[in-house]
Amino acid sequence: MTYLPLQIIVSLFVMLIVFRLKKKFKDNSLKTSEFIAWLVLWLMVLVVFWLPQTTSYLALLFGIGRGVDLAVYLATLVIFYLVFRLYLKIDKQQKEITKIIRHLALKDEDKNHDQS
Amino acid sequence: MKTFIIIPCYNDAAFLERVINSVKPYGQVVVVDDGSTDNSREIAQSAQAIVLKHRLNRGQGAALETGDLYALREGAEIVVHFDADGQHQAAEIPRLIEPILKGEANVVFGSRFLKSDDFTPFLKKWLILKPAILFQNLLLGVKLTDAHNGFRALSRKALELIRITQDGMAHASEIVEKVKLNGLKYREVPVTVLYNDFGQGFGGGLKILADWLFGKFNNP
Repeated sequence: MTYLPLQIIVSLFVMLIVFRLKKKFKDNSLKTSEFIAWLVLWLMVLVVFWLPQTTSYLALLFGIGRGVDLAVYLATLVIFYLVFRLYLKIDKQQKEITKIIRHLALKDEDKNHDQS
Repeated sequence: MKTFIIIPCYNDAAFLERVINSVKPYGQVVVVDDGSTDNSREIAQSAQAIVLKHRLNRGQGAALETGDLYALREGAEIVVHFDADGQHQAAEIPRLIEPILKGEANVVFGSRFLKSDDFTPFLKKWLILKPAILFQNLLLGVKLTDAHNGFRALSRKALELIRITQDGMAHASEIVEKVKLNGLKYREVPVTVLYNDFGQGFGGGLKILADWLFGKFNNP
Protein backbone atom coordinates (compact mmCIF):
# COMPACT_ATOMS: atom_id res chain seq x y z
CA MET A 1 0.00 0.00 0.00
CA THR A 2 1.62 3.21 -1.13
CA TYR A 3 -0.62 5.85 0.42
CA LEU A 4 -1.17 4.39 3.85
CA PRO A 5 -0.53 7.68 5.77
CA LEU A 6 -3.20 9.46 3.76
CA GLN A 7 -5.64 6.64 4.40
CA ILE A 8 -5.07 6.95 8.12
CA ILE A 9 -5.43 10.74 8.13
CA VAL A 10 -8.65 10.57 6.12
CA SER A 11 -10.01 7.81 8.33
CA LEU A 12 -9.36 9.84 11.47
CA PHE A 13 -10.97 12.84 9.86
CA VAL A 14 -14.05 10.84 8.87
CA MET A 15 -14.28 9.33 12.35
CA LEU A 16 -14.23 12.81 13.83
CA ILE A 17 -16.99 13.96 11.51
CA VAL A 18 -19.14 10.89 12.12
CA PHE A 19 -18.70 11.39 15.85
CA ARG A 20 -19.90 15.02 15.55
CA LEU A 21 -22.79 13.94 13.30
CA LYS A 22 -23.90 11.44 15.92
CA LYS A 23 -23.77 14.10 18.59
CA LYS A 24 -25.78 16.54 16.50
CA PHE A 25 -28.32 13.80 15.74
CA LYS A 26 -28.71 13.09 19.46
CA ASP A 27 -29.19 16.82 20.13
CA ASN A 28 -32.01 16.75 17.58
CA SER A 29 -30.33 19.37 15.40
CA LEU A 30 -30.29 16.90 12.49
CA LYS A 31 -33.26 15.14 10.95
CA THR A 32 -33.01 11.36 10.57
CA SER A 33 -32.88 11.66 6.79
CA GLU A 34 -30.11 14.26 6.97
CA PHE A 35 -28.17 12.15 9.43
CA ILE A 36 -28.35 9.09 7.20
CA ALA A 37 -27.43 11.08 4.06
CA TRP A 38 -24.34 12.55 5.68
CA LEU A 39 -23.36 9.22 7.24
CA VAL A 40 -23.60 7.43 3.90
CA LEU A 41 -21.59 10.19 2.21
CA TRP A 42 -18.72 9.97 4.69
CA LEU A 43 -18.75 6.16 4.75
CA MET A 44 -18.45 6.33 0.97
CA VAL A 45 -15.37 8.49 1.40
CA LEU A 46 -13.91 5.79 3.64
CA VAL A 47 -14.68 3.07 1.10
CA VAL A 48 -13.11 5.10 -1.70
CA PHE A 49 -9.91 5.62 0.24
CA TRP A 50 -9.53 2.05 1.50
CA LEU A 51 -10.77 0.25 -1.61
CA PRO A 52 -9.92 2.56 -4.52
CA GLN A 53 -10.71 -0.19 -7.02
CA THR A 54 -14.44 0.14 -6.23
CA THR A 55 -14.46 3.57 -7.89
CA SER A 56 -12.92 2.12 -11.04
CA TYR A 57 -15.69 -0.44 -11.12
CA LEU A 58 -18.34 2.28 -10.72
CA ALA A 59 -16.59 4.48 -13.27
CA LEU A 60 -16.73 1.76 -15.88
CA LEU A 61 -20.40 1.37 -15.12
CA PHE A 62 -20.91 5.05 -15.97
CA GLY A 63 -18.61 4.85 -18.98
CA ILE A 64 -15.84 6.93 -17.45
CA GLY A 65 -12.22 5.78 -17.73
CA ARG A 66 -10.85 6.16 -14.23
CA GLY A 67 -12.35 5.96 -10.75
CA VAL A 68 -10.68 9.20 -9.70
CA ASP A 69 -12.34 11.02 -12.58
CA LEU A 70 -15.76 9.81 -11.46
CA ALA A 71 -15.06 11.03 -7.93
CA VAL A 72 -14.07 14.48 -9.25
CA TYR A 73 -17.15 14.70 -11.48
CA LEU A 74 -19.47 13.73 -8.65
CA ALA A 75 -17.79 16.10 -6.21
CA THR A 76 -18.16 18.98 -8.69
CA LEU A 77 -21.83 18.18 -9.21
CA VAL A 78 -22.47 18.05 -5.48
CA ILE A 79 -20.64 21.37 -4.96
CA PHE A 80 -22.64 23.08 -7.71
CA TYR A 81 -25.85 21.81 -6.19
CA LEU A 82 -24.89 22.99 -2.72
CA VAL A 83 -23.88 26.45 -3.99
CA PHE A 84 -27.22 26.72 -5.76
CA ARG A 85 -29.08 25.73 -2.62
CA LEU A 86 -27.08 28.26 -0.62
CA TYR A 87 -27.89 30.97 -3.14
CA LEU A 88 -31.60 30.28 -2.84
CA LYS A 89 -31.41 30.18 0.92
CA ILE A 90 -29.59 33.53 1.10
CA ASP A 91 -32.10 35.02 -1.33
CA LYS A 92 -34.95 33.83 0.85
CA GLN A 93 -33.35 35.23 3.98
CA GLN A 94 -32.80 38.56 2.23
CA LYS A 95 -36.49 38.67 1.41
CA GLU A 96 -37.38 37.90 5.00
CA ILE A 97 -35.14 40.73 6.20
CA THR A 98 -36.94 43.05 3.78
CA LYS A 99 -40.29 41.97 5.21
CA ILE A 100 -39.16 42.83 8.73
CA ILE A 101 -37.73 46.20 7.65
CA ARG A 102 -40.96 46.98 5.79
CA HIS A 103 -43.11 45.99 8.74
CA LEU A 104 -41.08 48.28 11.02
CA ALA A 105 -41.26 51.16 8.52
CA LEU A 106 -45.05 50.95 8.31
CA LYS A 107 -45.38 50.56 12.08
CA ASP A 108 -43.15 53.61 12.72
CA GLU A 109 -45.39 55.63 10.44
CA ASP A 110 -48.44 54.57 12.44
CA LYS A 111 -46.79 55.85 15.62
CA ASN A 112 -45.97 59.21 14.03
CA HIS A 113 -49.53 59.39 12.81
CA ASP A 114 -50.92 58.80 16.29
CA GLN A 115 -48.64 61.42 17.83
CA SER A 116 -49.51 64.16 15.40
CA MET B 1 -58.77 60.97 -7.46
CA LYS B 2 -56.56 60.29 -4.46
CA THR B 3 -53.06 60.18 -5.90
CA PHE B 4 -49.94 59.09 -4.04
CA ILE B 5 -46.48 59.84 -5.38
CA ILE B 6 -43.95 57.31 -4.12
CA ILE B 7 -40.32 58.44 -4.10
CA PRO B 8 -37.81 55.77 -3.08
CA CYS B 9 -34.73 57.50 -1.79
CA TYR B 10 -31.23 56.36 -0.88
CA ASN B 11 -28.76 59.12 -0.08
CA ASP B 12 -30.43 61.53 -2.50
CA ALA B 13 -30.24 64.58 -0.24
CA ALA B 14 -28.87 66.76 -3.04
CA PHE B 15 -32.03 66.60 -5.16
CA LEU B 16 -34.73 65.57 -2.72
CA GLU B 17 -36.14 68.93 -1.64
CA ARG B 18 -36.49 70.16 -5.20
CA VAL B 19 -38.07 66.87 -6.30
CA ILE B 20 -40.59 66.84 -3.43
CA ASN B 21 -41.61 70.44 -4.03
CA SER B 22 -42.02 69.80 -7.74
CA VAL B 23 -44.37 66.82 -7.31
CA LYS B 24 -46.37 68.19 -4.36
CA PRO B 25 -49.10 69.83 -6.47
CA TYR B 26 -49.96 66.45 -8.03
CA GLY B 27 -50.71 64.35 -4.96
CA GLN B 28 -49.71 63.08 -1.55
CA VAL B 29 -45.92 62.68 -1.48
CA VAL B 30 -44.55 59.55 0.20
CA VAL B 31 -40.76 59.33 0.50
CA VAL B 32 -39.42 55.89 1.35
CA ASP B 33 -36.04 56.49 2.93
CA ASP B 34 -34.20 53.27 2.13
CA GLY B 35 -31.67 53.40 4.95
CA SER B 36 -29.97 56.60 3.83
CA THR B 37 -26.89 57.65 5.75
CA ASP B 38 -27.15 61.30 4.75
CA ASN B 39 -29.84 63.75 5.87
CA SER B 40 -32.39 62.71 3.21
CA ARG B 41 -34.91 61.87 5.89
CA GLU B 42 -34.76 65.29 7.60
CA ILE B 43 -35.02 67.01 4.25
CA ALA B 44 -38.09 64.98 3.31
CA GLN B 45 -39.71 65.68 6.66
CA SER B 46 -39.07 69.41 6.48
CA ALA B 47 -40.53 69.41 2.96
CA GLN B 48 -43.69 67.97 4.55
CA ALA B 49 -43.66 64.62 2.80
CA ILE B 50 -44.80 61.47 4.55
CA VAL B 51 -41.59 59.61 5.32
CA LEU B 52 -41.37 55.83 5.67
CA LYS B 53 -38.04 54.71 7.03
CA HIS B 54 -36.25 51.49 6.15
CA ARG B 55 -33.75 50.91 8.95
CA LEU B 56 -31.49 49.04 6.55
CA ASN B 57 -30.89 49.59 2.85
CA ARG B 58 -33.03 47.02 1.02
CA GLY B 59 -33.00 48.27 -2.56
CA GLN B 60 -35.26 50.30 -4.80
CA GLY B 61 -37.78 47.51 -5.40
CA ALA B 62 -38.19 46.94 -1.67
CA ALA B 63 -38.67 50.67 -1.07
CA LEU B 64 -41.31 50.95 -3.80
CA GLU B 65 -43.24 48.00 -2.38
CA THR B 66 -43.24 49.59 1.07
CA GLY B 67 -44.60 52.76 -0.49
CA ASP B 68 -47.19 50.81 -2.49
CA LEU B 69 -48.45 48.96 0.59
CA TYR B 70 -48.68 52.24 2.49
CA ALA B 71 -50.63 53.88 -0.34
CA LEU B 72 -52.94 50.86 -0.56
CA ARG B 73 -53.61 51.05 3.15
CA GLU B 74 -54.31 54.79 3.00
CA GLY B 75 -56.85 54.33 0.23
CA ALA B 76 -54.85 55.54 -2.77
CA GLU B 77 -56.65 55.39 -6.11
CA ILE B 78 -53.58 56.15 -8.21
CA VAL B 79 -49.93 55.63 -7.38
CA VAL B 80 -47.07 57.28 -9.26
CA HIS B 81 -43.51 55.97 -8.95
CA PHE B 82 -41.02 58.80 -9.17
CA ASP B 83 -37.21 58.92 -8.90
CA ALA B 84 -35.55 60.93 -6.15
CA ASP B 85 -32.60 62.04 -8.24
CA GLY B 86 -34.36 64.61 -10.40
CA GLN B 87 -34.42 62.45 -13.55
CA HIS B 88 -38.17 62.65 -13.97
CA GLN B 89 -40.27 65.71 -14.72
CA ALA B 90 -43.12 66.40 -12.31
CA ALA B 91 -44.97 68.39 -14.97
CA GLU B 92 -45.45 65.13 -16.89
CA ILE B 93 -47.43 63.47 -14.08
CA PRO B 94 -50.85 64.66 -15.38
CA ARG B 95 -50.08 63.15 -18.79
CA LEU B 96 -48.91 59.91 -17.15
CA ILE B 97 -52.06 59.41 -15.09
CA GLU B 98 -54.48 60.58 -17.76
CA PRO B 99 -55.12 57.08 -19.25
CA ILE B 100 -55.98 55.82 -15.75
CA LEU B 101 -58.34 58.74 -15.11
CA LYS B 102 -60.06 58.03 -18.41
CA GLY B 103 -60.29 54.34 -17.55
CA GLU B 104 -58.21 53.36 -20.57
CA ALA B 105 -55.41 51.66 -18.65
CA ASN B 106 -54.54 50.15 -15.25
CA VAL B 107 -50.83 50.78 -15.60
CA VAL B 108 -49.07 53.54 -17.50
CA PHE B 109 -45.36 53.32 -18.27
CA GLY B 110 -43.25 56.32 -19.13
CA SER B 111 -41.18 55.86 -22.26
CA ARG B 112 -38.01 57.75 -23.17
CA PHE B 113 -38.21 56.64 -26.77
CA LEU B 114 -41.67 57.76 -27.83
CA LYS B 115 -40.34 61.29 -28.08
CA SER B 116 -38.00 62.71 -30.67
CA ASP B 117 -35.92 64.59 -28.11
CA ASP B 118 -34.44 61.89 -25.93
CA PHE B 119 -31.45 62.65 -23.74
CA THR B 120 -30.27 59.07 -23.20
CA PRO B 121 -26.49 58.72 -23.58
CA PHE B 122 -25.71 57.04 -26.91
CA LEU B 123 -23.93 53.98 -25.46
CA LYS B 124 -26.54 53.45 -22.79
CA LYS B 125 -29.27 53.56 -25.37
CA TRP B 126 -27.80 51.17 -27.94
CA LEU B 127 -25.65 48.84 -25.82
CA ILE B 128 -27.88 48.47 -22.79
CA LEU B 129 -31.43 49.73 -23.18
CA LYS B 130 -32.27 48.58 -26.69
CA PRO B 131 -31.09 44.98 -26.04
CA ALA B 132 -32.90 45.04 -22.69
CA ILE B 133 -36.12 46.25 -24.35
CA LEU B 134 -35.87 43.54 -27.00
CA PHE B 135 -35.20 40.91 -24.36
CA GLN B 136 -38.11 42.12 -22.22
CA ASN B 137 -40.54 42.14 -25.11
CA LEU B 138 -39.54 38.68 -26.33
CA LEU B 139 -39.46 37.09 -22.89
CA LEU B 140 -42.59 38.65 -21.42
CA GLY B 141 -44.62 38.92 -24.60
CA VAL B 142 -45.27 42.64 -24.28
CA LYS B 143 -44.93 45.47 -26.75
CA LEU B 144 -43.11 48.30 -25.06
CA THR B 145 -40.72 50.92 -26.41
CA ASP B 146 -38.78 51.30 -23.15
CA ALA B 147 -37.55 49.18 -20.25
CA HIS B 148 -36.55 50.00 -16.70
CA ASN B 149 -37.85 53.51 -16.81
CA GLY B 150 -38.84 54.12 -13.17
CA PHE B 151 -41.57 56.64 -14.05
CA ARG B 152 -44.91 54.82 -14.02
CA ALA B 153 -48.44 55.07 -12.70
CA LEU B 154 -50.67 52.32 -11.30
CA SER B 155 -54.40 52.30 -10.68
CA ARG B 156 -55.75 50.91 -7.44
CA LYS B 157 -56.69 47.68 -9.18
CA ALA B 158 -53.11 47.26 -10.41
CA LEU B 159 -51.80 48.19 -6.99
CA GLU B 160 -53.88 45.46 -5.40
CA LEU B 161 -52.67 42.84 -7.87
CA ILE B 162 -48.98 43.69 -8.22
CA ARG B 163 -46.73 42.75 -5.33
CA ILE B 164 -43.07 43.59 -5.87
CA THR B 165 -40.86 40.79 -4.55
CA GLN B 166 -37.66 41.87 -6.29
CA ASP B 167 -35.84 44.09 -3.81
CA GLY B 168 -33.22 45.28 -6.28
CA MET B 169 -33.51 46.79 -9.72
CA ALA B 170 -35.22 43.76 -11.27
CA HIS B 171 -38.54 45.05 -9.90
CA ALA B 172 -39.04 47.00 -13.13
CA SER B 173 -39.16 43.75 -15.14
CA GLU B 174 -41.23 42.13 -12.43
CA ILE B 175 -43.88 44.84 -12.67
CA VAL B 176 -44.13 44.41 -16.46
CA GLU B 177 -44.37 40.65 -15.98
CA LYS B 178 -47.15 40.93 -13.41
CA VAL B 179 -49.06 43.42 -15.56
CA LYS B 180 -49.02 40.79 -18.29
CA LEU B 181 -49.84 37.84 -15.99
CA ASN B 182 -52.79 39.64 -14.41
CA GLY B 183 -54.12 40.73 -17.78
CA LEU B 184 -53.98 44.41 -16.78
CA LYS B 185 -54.43 47.07 -19.45
CA TYR B 186 -51.24 49.02 -20.00
CA ARG B 187 -50.28 52.08 -21.95
CA GLU B 188 -47.10 53.98 -22.71
CA VAL B 189 -46.75 57.72 -22.55
CA PRO B 190 -43.75 59.73 -23.78
CA VAL B 191 -41.69 61.20 -20.95
CA THR B 192 -38.43 63.06 -20.62
CA VAL B 193 -35.62 61.53 -18.58
CA LEU B 194 -32.67 63.78 -17.81
CA TYR B 195 -29.37 62.17 -16.91
CA ASN B 196 -27.23 63.29 -13.99
CA ASP B 197 -25.05 60.24 -14.42
CA PHE B 198 -25.01 57.05 -16.48
CA GLY B 199 -27.23 55.06 -14.09
CA GLN B 200 -27.37 51.29 -14.56
CA GLY B 201 -24.43 50.08 -16.66
CA PHE B 202 -23.99 46.78 -18.47
CA GLY B 203 -22.99 44.97 -15.26
CA GLY B 204 -26.11 46.34 -13.59
CA GLY B 205 -28.14 45.00 -16.49
CA LEU B 206 -26.70 41.51 -16.05
CA LYS B 207 -27.38 41.63 -12.32
CA ILE B 208 -31.02 42.54 -13.02
CA LEU B 209 -31.28 39.53 -15.33
CA ALA B 210 -29.70 37.19 -12.78
CA ASP B 211 -31.91 38.49 -9.93
CA TRP B 212 -34.99 38.10 -12.04
CA LEU B 213 -34.16 34.54 -13.13
CA PHE B 214 -33.15 33.38 -9.65
CA GLY B 215 -36.27 35.04 -8.27
CA LYS B 216 -38.27 32.45 -10.22
CA PHE B 217 -37.03 29.66 -7.98
CA ASN B 218 -38.03 31.23 -4.70
CA ASN B 219 -41.28 32.79 -5.92
CA PRO B 220 -42.82 30.28 -8.26
